[in-house]
Amino acid sequence: MAGNPFPLNKGQLLEAYRTMKTIREFEERLHVDFGRGDIPGFVHLYAGEEASATGIMAHLGDGDRIASTHRGHGHCIAKGVDIVAMMKEIYGRKGGSCNGKGGSMHIADLSKGMMGANGILGAGAPLACGAALAAKLRKKGEVAITFVGDGASNQGTFLESLNLAAVWNLPTIFVVENNGYAESTSRDYGTAVDSYVDRAAGFGMPGVTVDGTDFFAVYEAAGEIIRRAREGGGPTLLECKMVRFHGHFEGDAQTYRGPGENEENRNNKDCLKKFSAEVAGSGVITIDELKAIDADVMLQIEHAVVEAKAAPFPTLADLTTDVYIKY
Amino acid sequence: MSTLAPSVGIIANPVSARDIRRVIANASNLQTADRVNIVLRLLSTLSELGVGKVFMMPDKSGMRPLLSRQLNRESQLGHGFPEVEYLDFPVTSTVEDTFRATRLMREAGVKAMIVLGGDGTHRAVARECGDIPIAGLSTGTNNAFPEMREPTLTAMAVALYATGKLSRAEALSGNKVIEISINHGERKDIAIVDAVISHERVIGARALWRPESLNALYLTFADPEVIGLSAIGGLLQPTSRESPDGLMIELASDPAKAQFNLRAPIAPGMMRDIPIANWAPLKAGVDYPVALDAGVVALDGEREMTFKPGEHVNVSLVSQAFFTVDVTRCLQLGAVNGLFRF
Repeated sequence: MAGNPFPLNKGQLLEAYRTMKTIREFEERLHVDFGRGDIPGFVHLYAGEEASATGIMAHLGDGDRIASTHRGHGHCIAKGVDIVAMMKEIYGRKGGSCNGKGGSMHIADLSKGMMGANGILGAGAPLACGAALAAKLRKKGEVAITFVGDGASNQGTFLESLNLAAVWNLPTIFVVENNGYAESTSRDYGTAVDSYVDRAAGFGMPGVTVDGTDFFAVYEAAGEIIRRAREGGGPTLLECKMVRFHGHFEGDAQTYRGPGENEENRNNKDCLKKFSAEVAGSGVITIDELKAIDADVMLQIEHAVVEAKAAPFPTLADLTTDVYIKY
Repeated sequence: MSTLAPSVGIIANPVSARDIRRVIANASNLQTADRVNIVLRLLSTLSELGVGKVFMMPDKSGMRPLLSRQLNRESQLGHGFPEVEYLDFPVTSTVEDTFRATRLMREAGVKAMIVLGGDGTHRAVARECGDIPIAGLSTGTNNAFPEMREPTLTAMAVALYATGKLSRAEALSGNKVIEISINHGERKDIAIVDAVISHERVIGARALWRPESLNALYLTFADPEVIGLSAIGGLLQPTSRESPDGLMIELASDPAKAQFNLRAPIAPGMMRDIPIANWAPLKAGVDYPVALDAGVVALDGEREMTFKPGEHVNVSLVSQAFFTVDVTRCLQLGAVNGLFRF
């Protein structure tokens, strides 16, 4: 396209920014509301990691499935799950994605191919293999993606899934979101061979590392990997090196961080700042267009919170409903 | 400078050979454990030939803890190694670590630096190494600059030079670089093999692999026995590392205007047809302004510098810009002069 230096058109760029901004503001609002005691259970925030979910999901349709993690809000939003339903779910209200009975770590929307956030670390990988097997048998060129943290990549389920996907040549993509910490344990202490690409090689599949704070790096690599999987090229592991702006969970004192680490992350490794600087400096998109999205996103988040707070809690009679899915 | 226990630096890039070319070109991936095994072979060889101390670049990608565990095991077995000192600085896990480690090793007075990486890693060291020579080992993707060789042999050659058994004149070779300058020095960088002008406009996944995105190539040397973008020059007009000239190649954006298509390995196992418009020697000390209005400059295989309309990009070839240990010559001199007889 003449004059546009990016591999996305203007509308796609604006949509990518809107998605990342929505994730960011959704999470920052939860940070505040959880601290105030408004939200039951636990929340694990995705702020700082937006480029990964957004850069990958930009290549997916509703027929492609993803299996998320305990830190799943960003994956949900990027996959197109309604943020009002998500907010109701996190607030534990009826009308939520799972009618308020799942909470933050169990948001799912099968109509969007979002098979669920998951409170069990490493549990998404076998689910994605199952979805990928179904996709392979259906022969529609669909793929399944599992997200896993650097800590959970040590789980047996994850390693078994790498093997299964390789031997069955499944269209599975294993995304290791490497934010450097397994809860509070630095990967330097908790991982014997600290290259996730090495693990892929151990199972005979390609592995790629990208700067997970650079939307365009994730977008370009994910595009090639997903295309390969759609065309029958089989599984790939994609490691996104990234940073987590908040603690493992809300309330985490983060005493394991180095001095100034959070400030360094916010100042120099913010994927939204990088994206804004790149697209606004190109002449393709103006600062005013980005600001208009910022304002609209804030309204959307406020609306979601208002709707969530106004919704009723599930009743005792709701306890035994929605246990099994109907086909 | 003379010391009783000469020191050597080892800069081992823990994350070379990890990029998208694993997917688009089935490029190899040297695992962390193998990188550590290479370092262990270097250390034992250097120790046997009189190098007393080795400075290491720190990393947060798994090499340091693995090497520490292995060194503990080796010491329990009574095997000799030089003193190993990790440079003390906060690791950023970016190329800045390589720049900083190179500078600190120079300040520490190392006699030579052994580099594990591909062309990109060697470029980063070359930018900062000054007159300290490099000995390169291929652990990257294209590896046009570092030679494929058993690390033990490289360490043997380095030890002969570091311990003073061979002089600079005997052991070292000079190398060319390409200097890239944007807006008359506002932004500057170098390439040790290839500076490629591309129509791409973002850094993205860094590698270049789409032939239609290529605009022009500027090469320090062009070897038909290498892969990567410089292979285009190698198969078009071989130009040696020792030649005073480099090579410049203009590609045809309109295939109808190409003199011919050259089928070249622009990545491992990836043969692509490249539409050649023109080529000519690249003369040292001459300024070559880039014609493309806006795009990206890829340095030694990776997109590094973007430029916009109105920005001026200049390319120039510089001779004798940095030095490498000539392993073949060192080992031959070592044999002829009896330097391995103890």
